[in-house]
Amino acid sequence: MNSKHMANRVKTYLSKPQNIILLLFGIVLTFTTVAPIVAIVKDTLIIHPGTIDAHLTGKTSGYTVVNYVDLFTSKLAKTNLWKPLWNTLLLAVFTCTISILYGGFFAFLVTRTNLKFKKYLSSIFIFPYIMPQWTLAVVWQNVFNSNAVVGTSNGLLASLFGIEMPKWWCQGLFPSSIVLGLHYAPFAYILIGGIFRNMDANLEEAATILDTPKWKTMFRITLPMIKPAILSTILLVFGSAMGSYPVPHYLGLTTLSTKYISLNSKYTGEASILAIIMMIFGVAILTMNQVSLKSRKNYTTVTGKSGQLSKINLGKVGKYLIAVVMVVLTFFTSIFPIFSFALETFLPNPGDYSFLYTKDVSNLTTKWWITNENITENGMYGQKGILYNETIWHAFAGTLLVAVCCALLAGTIGTLIGYAVAKNRRSKWASYVNGVAFLPYLMPSIAVGAAFFILFSNEKINLFNTYTLLIIAGTIKYIPFASRSALNSMLQLSNEIEEAAIIQNVPWFKRMFRIIVPIQKSSIISGYMLPFMTCLRELSLFLLLCTQGFILSTTLDYFDEMGLYAFSSAINLILIVTILIFNTLVNKLTGASLDDGIGSN
Amino acid sequence: MKKKIVSLVLAGTMMAMTLAGCGSSEPQNTSSTPASAAGSEEQKNNEAVEASKEEAPKEEENLSEIEKIIKEAEGMTMEELAKKAIEESNGKTFYGVGNSSRGKTALPLFIEYLQSIDSSYTMEYEWQQPKNNKIFEQLTADSLKETGTFAMTLIQDGNQIESKMVQPGILKTYIPKEWADANGTTADAYEGFLPLQTLNKVFMYNCTGDAVYDNCWDFVAEGNHSLYMDIDSEIVGKNFLYMLTEDKYAAWLKEAFEALDDSDKAYFQPVIDEMKSEAEDLGLGADGAYALAWIKLWVESYNAQTDDGPICNTLVTDSATDQSGLLVYSKLRSVEESAGVSLNNIKVAAYEDGYTGIGGYGYCHYLFVTNNSPLPWTACAFIAYMTCTEDGFSAWGKDMGGYSSNPEVATAIETTYQHSKGGYNEAGENVFECKNDRGYDWWTTDGELVLEDPEYCASVAFTVGSWIELLTKYSAE
Repeated sequence: MNSKHMANRVKTYLSKPQNIILLLFGIVLTFTTVAPIVAIVKDTLIIHPGTIDAHLTGKTSGYTVVNYVDLFTSKLAKTNLWKPLWNTLLLAVFTCTISILYGGFFAFLVTRTNLKFKKYLSSIFIFPYIMPQWTLAVVWQNVFNSNAVVGTSNGLLASLFGIEMPKWWCQGLFPSSIVLGLHYAPFAYILIGGIFRNMDANLEEAATILDTPKWKTMFRITLPMIKPAILSTILLVFGSAMGSYPVPHYLGLTTLSTKYISLNSKYTGEASILAIIMMIFGVAILTMNQVSLKSRKNYTTVTGKSGQLSKINLGKVGKYLIAVVMVVLTFFTSIFPIFSFALETFLPNPGDYSFLYTKDVSNLTTKWWITNENITENGMYGQKGILYNETIWHAFAGTLLVAVCCALLAGTIGTLIGYAVAKNRRSKWASYVNGVAFLPYLMPSIAVGAAFFILFSNEKINLFNTYTLLIIAGTIKYIPFASRSALNSMLQLSNEIEEAAIIQNVPWFKRMFRIIVPIQKSSIISGYMLPFMTCLRELSLFLLLCTQGFILSTTLDYFDEMGLYAFSSAINLILIVTILIFNTLVNKLTGASLDDGIGSN
Repeated sequence: MKKKIVSLVLAGTMMAMTLAGCGSSEPQNTSSTPASAAGSEEQKNNEAVEASKEEAPKEEENLSEIEKIIKEAEGMTMEELAKKAIEESNGKTFYGVGNSSRGKTALPLFIEYLQSIDSSYTMEYEWQQPKNNKIFEQLTADSLKETGTFAMTLIQDGNQIESKMVQPGILKTYIPKEWADANGTTADAYEGFLPLQTLNKVFMYNCTGDAVYDNCWDFVAEGNHSLYMDIDSEIVGKNFLYMLTEDKYAAWLKEAFEALDDSDKAYFQPVIDEMKSEAEDLGLGADGAYALAWIKLWVESYNAQTDDGPICNTLVTDSATDQSGLLVYSKLRSVEESAGVSLNNIKVAAYEDGYTGIGGYGYCHYLFVTNNSPLPWTACAFIAYMTCTEDGFSAWGKDMGGYSSNPEVATAIETTYQHSKGGYNEAGENVFECKNDRGYDWWTTDGELVLEDPEYCASVAFTVGSWIELLTKYSAE
């Protein structure tokens, strides 16, 4: 009787598609999230031949905790742990601050004022996010470096105007924070802008009627209302900034990520501890977010009853003046890098801007594009021109494959999870699945990459340098893009709509494709687009999982490190054009876009 | 607060250890090993290295399957080996992994060679070039499989090869018969790894100003910040520093120091004096203090770069006045003359009259068969082809600054490519002096090239190596 009752309960439970989804993905995601963590923890305890643990224990195999002892207590603890950790935290905090201030201020201007050129500014503002993050770092170097200060060849400012920027401006924490802050500012813009745009104006209007000073309205009403968006930005940006490898690497800042790479050869187990420390921060951020969600005052931002938002009048001159300032700013963060990349592909030697001060165009060349052989030595380091370079185009095909697969998998899984969690919003299991799906996003990419490398490099499965591994890692990492986007929109969807179809005995697939998907088209599309775009220029996650030449980002990084800026710039252009084409295509087909109408009002 | 964090983390660690039940029973040192103990550490390492050297040759029955094939291959001629390779790999895919991308260029030439023996022969190939030291992890992971993916490897960094690849038995050395003959040895008599080539990193400087670099100590003089690849990202760069502490090279540094004028000597002498006790603690020879002083000044002054490419790009510009660097010589091949860039903006320090001291650093690309190679005969044949034929080495030989380990191939390459006159134009005029490669023999004698010795590097990696890591690198922070 009991067993029959149980069986009936199970049958009833499994008769709901959302329960099957939650059960299936709960198990799968627990494995895909926990297994890499277990693998990396194990790696901290294993003795690696030829490394510090083998030296200190006098053994070549077995287990030890000497890596922990050495990392935390040796004379090198400051160099290998504390200083990189401190730099990492500073970098993450400054990046969050810059992205929120810049992105938030821009969102305010676009949504709450009568600023001019909104549509153009809104589109152009998200460019730094489209571009691989370290490309701005390379542009920074090309502009500000000088022989006198950093000992390299002169950048544009020094070459053309003799301006030599101080060292703190050229290398270290300051430029790294600025570059990452600019890269992630579109996050803040999209999240904060979304709230500003949909905000109920009644509260602010009430404050105005009560003659509340503007600053008080801002701090007591407006800012608390956008607090959830700020917290979301912190949630998304903090972990990403912590796990960024290329930006601090190019700009000479030692962080946990760069230390992980440099320690890995001789201090392999200790490097894995650094990865764990980065992961702990990911878990801590998620926990803090959960706590904050529970204690957060409930601000209803979207009521559907709000009247027209009152726009702040910047004045006849002000609306143009501020717009021009923003046009100039976004020119340097979005347009100039593209010009700079294009220009770089025509320079005779990497960074050789002699045509500018000689005013002689014969100091330009098309060799980087059209050379179709690599036998003759013509200053191309044994490479064929971009148009004929098999490595670049093979990597491009690989990147497209990985990005498309990751987008389809992460988008579908994430959407299903979002749907199932929304349907079972009070279930603890649903909340667990939601958390475990989001966790990989909060873990720094380099640490996730390291964990996947260790997990899939064993005697039974060896997936290093395979597209399968990249697709697995990318999918797991990017599911949150889709699950969050789907969850947020599904929560707004009344159950009654689907229930009506259930009463009519409409099968689940039909309900999904005829009702849910069409209604939530826009957020579902962004659940596919974000993984696609991010995957195209992802480096930190894939750096440890494949060789250069396998995908575009590792190829781009390889050429950047080698100083072959013509090739890396061309790859940047290829990436940007690809993303823009796909973005436009999706926009035309579905009406959804990244900045999703924030600047259109 | 910091202490609390440390305690918490350590407590967590201990708990993990207890749970895992995997604590080591060995006494645990840390890398904060007192300097006084470091000497005995080095002795321990040396003894281990000596012990492994003195191991009796393995009995036939103790050899792995791959080692048996290698032994057989070592008695075969190139052509005999080629026939075995054809038999083994016809229609299959060959996977190689290496630090040099040129393996990819050499493989199709090798296939053409096999097709010249059997026109029906075909072989697909894939050549991987991992970054950031990943090659060691990749080979280690592959070694766990019964039959590996990679048939062979072309790999640099003798130190890590010795400790991570050779001692654990992951890679096996094969000595081709023709290579041994050309070097006047035999496979049995030859000790060490099989080098494909020696590459040199040499001291260069921008000569558009009036700075004088006529002694290797000038590169570590006050205020000088030579450009160099970060020693943590390119580990062979660290091996260079290890090698300086070897008696022969420490003596070169001392000689160069003695050639300095009094004012320069007065600047460096206090650092050398300070290093005397360190050298003693590290168990170095009589001139060890000179080596440590140079290393300390170098690590605390060099301007870290991501690759030799950007270093070369910088040094040849007219704006890099008086700047110097230690970089791969062959990078000069790819400079294009323009209004702001010229090879005549640069000088190779060791080529200048009156220059005293080390001229640079030589390290090798080594060739190995993996101990679980899926195509061992083909791997041996490919290795023999690269080391014993001009065509096989041509992928590297067309560039200056890379010297075949086979003297016959090296001679043929020089005849074909004339690297000693690499700076001459078609009219026979000497246009770019810095491109006239003086060759391996000159560099290793007059050029005072410091040569990598894998065993020595491995023996000091945790003594001198740990000491280097304690130095504060010159950086933005």
